[in-house]
Amino acid sequence: MSQFLLVLVSGVASGAVYGLIGLGLVIIYRATDVVNFAMASLATLGLYVAVSLRDQGVATVLGIVAAVTITVVAGLLVRETVIRPLGQGQLFSALVVTMGVSLVVENIASSVWGDEPKSFPNLVNGTVSWSGAALPVQSLVTIAVAAVAMAVVGYLFARTTLGSAMRAVAENAETARVVGLGAQRLARIAWALGLGLAALAACLYAPRSGLVPTALVAPLFRAFAGIFLGGLTSMYGAVVGGLTVGVLDNLAANYASASLRDTFVFSFTVLVLLIRPQGIFGTRTFQRV
Amino acid sequence: MVFNRSLLAKAALGPAAGAVLMAFMASGAIPAYQMYSVALAAIYTIVVLSVGLLAGWSGIWSVGHPAFFAIGAYFAAYGSGHGWSLETVVLGAVVTGTVLGAFLGYAGARFSMLYIALLTLAFTMVTLELVNRWSSVTGGDQGVAVLQLRSSLGLGTLAGGSTESQYLAVGAAAVVLALAVPAAASGLRMRLVAAKSHPLAARTIGIAPEAQSALAFAVSAAFTTFAGVLLGLITGFVSPDPFSLNLGIALIAACVLGGVGTIIGAVAGGAYLTWNPSLSSAVGLPQPVVQGLVLVGVLLFLPGGVVPFLSAPLRSALRRVWRRPAPTPAKPNPAADLAPRQPATATAATGEAAVVLRLEHVSVAYGGLKALEDASVSLRQDEVLAVIGPNGAGKTTLLNAVSGLTGNGRVSGTVDFAGGSLLKARATARRRLGIGRTFQHAEVFSELTVAENVLCTRRWITARDRADVARLLDSVGLADVADRRPGELPFGLQKRLDLARAMAEEPKLLVLDEPFGGLDAGERALLAQQIRRLHAQGTAVLVIDHVLDDLFSVAHRVLAFDFGRTIGEGTPDTVLDNPEVRSSYLGTVGGRAELPERVGERSVLRLSGVGHTYGGVVALRDVDLDVREGVVLGIAGANGAGKSTLAGILHGSLKPARGSRETGGTVRTSLAPEGRALFKTLSLRENLEVAAYAAGITGAPLRERLAETTEWLPPRLRDRMSVPAAGLSGGEQQMLAIARALIVKPDVLIVDEPALGLAPALVDEVYDRLVRLAHDGLTVVLLEQLLSRAMSVCHEVAVLHEGSVAAQGRPGDPSFAALAEAAYFSGARETAATTARL
Repeated sequence: MSQFLLVLVSGVASGAVYGLIGLGLVIIYRATDVVNFAMASLATLGLYVAVSLRDQGVATVLGIVAAVTITVVAGLLVRETVIRPLGQGQLFSALVVTMGVSLVVENIASSVWGDEPKSFPNLVNGTVSWSGAALPVQSLVTIAVAAVAMAVVGYLFARTTLGSAMRAVAENAETARVVGLGAQRLARIAWALGLGLAALAACLYAPRSGLVPTALVAPLFRAFAGIFLGGLTSMYGAVVGGLTVGVLDNLAANYASASLRDTFVFSFTVLVLLIRPQGIFGTRTFQRV
Repeated sequence: MVFNRSLLAKAALGPAAGAVLMAFMASGAIPAYQMYSVALAAIYTIVVLSVGLLAGWSGIWSVGHPAFFAIGAYFAAYGSGHGWSLETVVLGAVVTGTVLGAFLGYAGARFSMLYIALLTLAFTMVTLELVNRWSSVTGGDQGVAVLQLRSSLGLGTLAGGSTESQYLAVGAAAVVLALAVPAAASGLRMRLVAAKSHPLAARTIGIAPEAQSALAFAVSAAFTTFAGVLLGLITGFVSPDPFSLNLGIALIAACVLGGVGTIIGAVAGGAYLTWNPSLSSAVGLPQPVVQGLVLVGVLLFLPGGVVPFLSAPLRSALRRVWRRPAPTPAKPNPAADLAPRQPATATAATGEAAVVLRLEHVSVAYGGLKALEDASVSLRQDEVLAVIGPNGAGKTTLLNAVSGLTGNGRVSGTVDFAGGSLLKARATARRRLGIGRTFQHAEVFSELTVAENVLCTRRWITARDRADVARLLDSVGLADVADRRPGELPFGLQKRLDLARAMAEEPKLLVLDEPFGGLDAGERALLAQQIRRLHAQGTAVLVIDHVLDDLFSVAHRVLAFDFGRTIGEGTPDTVLDNPEVRSSYLGTVGGRAELPERVGERSVLRLSGVGHTYGGVVALRDVDLDVREGVVLGIAGANGAGKSTLAGILHGSLKPARGSRETGGTVRTSLAPEGRALFKTLSLRENLEVAAYAAGITGAPLRERLAETTEWLPPRLRDRMSVPAAGLSGGEQQMLAIARALIVKPDVLIVDEPALGLAPALVDEVYDRLVRLAHDGLTVVLLEQLLSRAMSVCHEVAVLHEGSVAAQGRPGDPSFAALAEAAYFSGARETAATTARL
């Protein structure tokens, strides 16, 4: 039982990370029709900056702030230079361009910081025992930080005028244009927000995985599975899907086989989608003539 | 399939190049260390071709091909270790690839491009995990050797890593290329492209997109697994390394680089994949960086790919040298079609033919909305039946019920066609039963040529089919443009193509959705003649439209619809005598609302010579309009007259193609668009907030405006400010849309068809409020489908007909009423003639 509790908590912690990355992906996708494949590599860039700062004696929390800042700035740079010139609604081109960016950025990271794994500091060390299980505090902190970040995003979108405007653009870009909403500015805000969430998620994930240039590829793919499970355009879906994937992934790794974890996750996702193609929270669209 | 000489010559290019290459290899002109690279390039060419043609022809971007490639290679390894023959290995690999590919293609057809990417990504990841895990077969990380494969047909023995294997790879690539050439000219490709570019229209000509994508994916996967077997043979050793997800990305890069869907592009892509490492070391950058830069650069600067970019100027240069210049687009009026316009109902219905289509009590509901209610229609084989009615009356839904395109709507009632029940038949099956249909906006397949658009109705194309299609195109005046893409043609010709596609295979019943809409007078006369010809040939025709003159000139019988129900029936001469039918168009209004008496003289908004087109369709031509301060200006016109375009131009959110828009000083305009266009997932308050926010109002002023605007709303809305707008009724949504326009305190309020789809009581309420706004000094421009309503609430009315202002005046003026009514139906020029008939 205590073993199960441990797995469950670490599953929720992983899920919180996937959920945050998924939330970032969904925010950017809804606002700009771009599936940002480069999100993981850009966040990796931020992580390396944080590690370098740590090595110079800067506090971990400040390092995390720096990581988020660097990721956001790099992301905005990418959007303005290579995504915006593609124009609106270029779903495939934009996806492939972000793949290209991802390859380049990953390689820059590896040529500057090398391929050897680096350790990333925990925010908090130690364990607490509960029901006979020694739960790592870092996992609990991960869950708490992610929950706070999600709550802030929820507040922003549900309660502020800026959030309403972003939802308006996501629902109907054409009407938003007629009403006079500045699409470019809102798109930049969405990118900044999405990348900031990804960088935060990366800082929560890295202590467990260690840091290599491709460290975030696996969580990115699992976040993808999560948002497809959730319905691609739903922010709740991203969080719920991410948590589902996280728990499933940890259960599979512990009770089946660590080397088949993605097989379980992706088979589950594909099976769910075969039954419900629009995902759990997605809506079915129907083309009219 | 037809093999003409040029096709054969093109198909022979692959084997010829392969033979030359093999000769070079044999002669030693290619250094030994490059032999392997050449063979690898040949194999990559097969894979890139599989990925690229799948993407180009069916729009499926697969990242699953590394897995198929791996499956093939491991088949070779396992087979060589267990004494399987070469043929067994190839057959086993190809069958496995085909079955898995068909599954992925079929499952993927239900999804969008992104979902297929995830599905195939999942497939690759799962396969790679299995490869690593199943080490008894795959050797895990260590890999496994491909020793040798013996042919069971006695063709010899191939050793892994041998020179013979390299020859085999080059030869195989040559054969695959040779097969691809006729495939590109076949009906198979046309049907795939048709299903990809317009799945819905494809269904109406009997193409099922799911089956097409399953087939395409299966074939593509089969070739890739075959390439995998070859890879195993030329390397002599298989390990998981080459089949990473990065290979998936690299394959996409290679496809995009060469040009998606082109055969020579695949050769270029294969070469690029093979020599990318050498290229990278030559420029001194790491390989992934080069790959990433190539991807970004090509998509930004050469989105079509390198080969099409290079070949287009080459081809046009060749054409200039060798041939006469390409034909200019056909003039729409070949002499044969200029026969004098025949009188209406030239070919009479005898009234004795059998009923071919019978709808009884058919209803179609989308969620809570009944788009069609209890419709009963019957059509005889020798009849042209017209269905008329205002916008939103349920006409298109009626056609969709007949052609099977009701989507997720609930259909009840019975539909019988040619003696069988139709509702159970899928949309794809209805074509075979003998139903052809056209679309309001000419939904043609943009990536096929004009001839291919019609040819793709056939599965296997014979020489006779080509001749038939040529004759059909000739009969509708499209013969000169048969090799062009629809996008290069004016809208009128696209509509003819849509009709030709529906006419191919001579259906028993043709269903035409607004065929006259968007056409000019000459084109409409030609079309009317075409419909009469079809009728004379024995085709039953069901047609809906708003262009009543032309519609009535071809119809034998007219049904009038409104609110999803039949409201009247008659001959073209009598149907408009029915008061209910007449009022559904013109409206019935009691007394005039009290308008403010004084109208300012100052012009706040002025259009001069404004014209606008959408992709060749003229929406507005030469409109002059002067909006004076404090006026309530009505712009009345039938559906498609150009009202919404005019609204956008007046508002300033749409830039006119020609002419100018001037404002008197800084004038803030605000638009309540047609169909409300609320943000349905946002609450009432958020809808208002967002509009104020867009105008740069934030903080305390925003709260103030919000409070004021909320006051303006009727009480039943004020109490529901935090409810999503989707939950409002149509009338309530309209109030909110007007409030949203008002929150920015506009000088001019433009309201586009506020009465659309509202019950009469609600319409009165909306109009009362608009008049009250005018009393408060607001300038209002009202776009209205019903002439009488515009006449009752406006100071001035301009009648819009086919994009021009056909009449303009004051409702109080007794002579204007008749003039406006005539202009509404027939435009300015034919006014005198048609007034009599009405």
